[in-house]
Amino acid sequence: MVQLRDVNMQFEGKKVLEGVLLNVQPQERLVIMGQSGSGKSTILRLILGILRPDSGSVFFKQYEINRLKRRKLQQVRQQIGMVYQYSALLSSLTVRQNVALPLEELTDKSGSEIDKIVDEKLELVGMLDTKDLLPDELSGGMRKRVALARGLVLDPELVLLDEPSAGLDPVIATVVDELIINLTQKSKATSIIVTHEMESAFRIATRMAMLYEGKIIEEGEPEKFKQSKNPVVAQFLSGSTEGPILEGSLDAIRKK
Amino acid sequence: MPNAEARRNMPGPLEVVEIQRTFLREVGSIFWFILNTLQESMERVQQGRAPFRAASFFRESVRAGVDSVPLVGLVSFFLGLTMALLTGYQLQRFGTERLIPGLVAIAFTRELGPLLTGIMLAARIGAAFTAELGTMQVNEEVEAVEAMGIGPLRFLAAPRMLALFLLAPCLSTVSNLAAVLASSLVCKAYFSIAFLYFLDLVKDSLLIRDIITGILKSFLFGLLIASIACYRGLTVKGGAAGVGTNTTSSVVTAITTVIGFDTVYNVVYTNFFPT
Repeated sequence: MVQLRDVNMQFEGKKVLEGVLLNVQPQERLVIMGQSGSGKSTILRLILGILRPDSGSVFFKQYEINRLKRRKLQQVRQQIGMVYQYSALLSSLTVRQNVALPLEELTDKSGSEIDKIVDEKLELVGMLDTKDLLPDELSGGMRKRVALARGLVLDPELVLLDEPSAGLDPVIATVVDELIINLTQKSKATSIIVTHEMESAFRIATRMAMLYEGKIIEEGEPEKFKQSKNPVVAQFLSGSTEGPILEGSLDAIRKK
Repeated sequence: MPNAEARRNMPGPLEVVEIQRTFLREVGSIFWFILNTLQESMERVQQGRAPFRAASFFRESVRAGVDSVPLVGLVSFFLGLTMALLTGYQLQRFGTERLIPGLVAIAFTRELGPLLTGIMLAARIGAAFTAELGTMQVNEEVEAVEAMGIGPLRFLAAPRMLALFLLAPCLSTVSNLAAVLASSLVCKAYFSIAFLYFLDLVKDSLLIRDIITGILKSFLFGLLIASIACYRGLTVKGGAAGVGTNTTSSVVTAITTVIGFDTVYNVVYTNFFPT
């Protein structure tokens, strides 16, 4: 479904991705983990074609995303749903208008059909009673659920989720995680989830990958991941300060 | 040694080249921005769909046009009043105060109306467009629109550009009328020129080409201001500080461009169509 082949990417001279290889199978829920700023969100933006790699290729189905012209890219993006870390709902539109936006702009559906689909999606995420509110009037968890409804409104084949449970309280985080599992299962969509929240990652994932210093250093089923001998993965999962992550820089922090 | 200090702070030849390069890059970017917006909108029209929502065009039109009428009207009224008064006293010395109506009417329809409107729109609407789109850019709203497969240029920039393009000439006309009305009051109060005689004098001196020149300029200014504002808004980087920097830059660039284009327009126009 999605393939990253030897992808290299740098921002202002700093290498973010170095020869990344990734293969995502249909209907799996791949969780990409890694430290903040390790390039996880960059991978999602590369898949969407918002960023272009310095070298290497990004494939979604048969399309080589980094070579598509703007018009074709816009058509391909309609098969991908993206849920942003901070929801990215259009602040001047109501919840209903936000969810209806892709349908109104990209399909020929009538007003009543759109209303029906929007109500259905909002009901799935338990947000039907907020449809006339503006995003500013919602809590973080509610915004995430609306963003999820918007991301799924076109029934995309691929759903990309950037830190879906970051900044949410544990109960709401579980609600959002379960929604992701249920909705993607129901729609048979493939999903790529970027997160550094361990509990959430293990709850959602059917497969996991760890990104460290621009490379995928470990990949596999959640169970295999838990037993990984890789010191970086082990330290990341345990949250310990002892290990290769932050080596050197931690001493400097402690000295302060 | 202030002179030595000033000399040290002067840009060297390499810096001058860099400034020129940046300037040309910016001009090119804004030009491409206009073309890309037009292309995205036309592609949509070719698909048999509206390039943007009518509601968003009307919302921007009300904001940019209708809501600007009081400001444009008031400033032009005061300027027309001052102009008529000051020129009137000078002309009175030669007994030619009946030239005031024509002078104010020509000056405003051809030059001051579009220019003042342009400057006010750049400050009032250009800043608002940049700040609004810049905030959307910072909050990833623009990227979200793009990620959905919706062209952000046609969806966000095109309705704003069309609104300002169409409404700048209307506001320019409001400016002209307000200034002429103000000068008619001055003429009546200070120079004993009756209103009907004032209108005759305006009609005698004003040519259709003066009006057309002013209107054409206004269309151009409207498009330039909106394009610069939207371009600056959609290229914001660096969070809230970036929004502030780009908003300031948008207003400064738009005002400078409006005055610059006005000069170029006048030079070209007077060379090709001398009176």
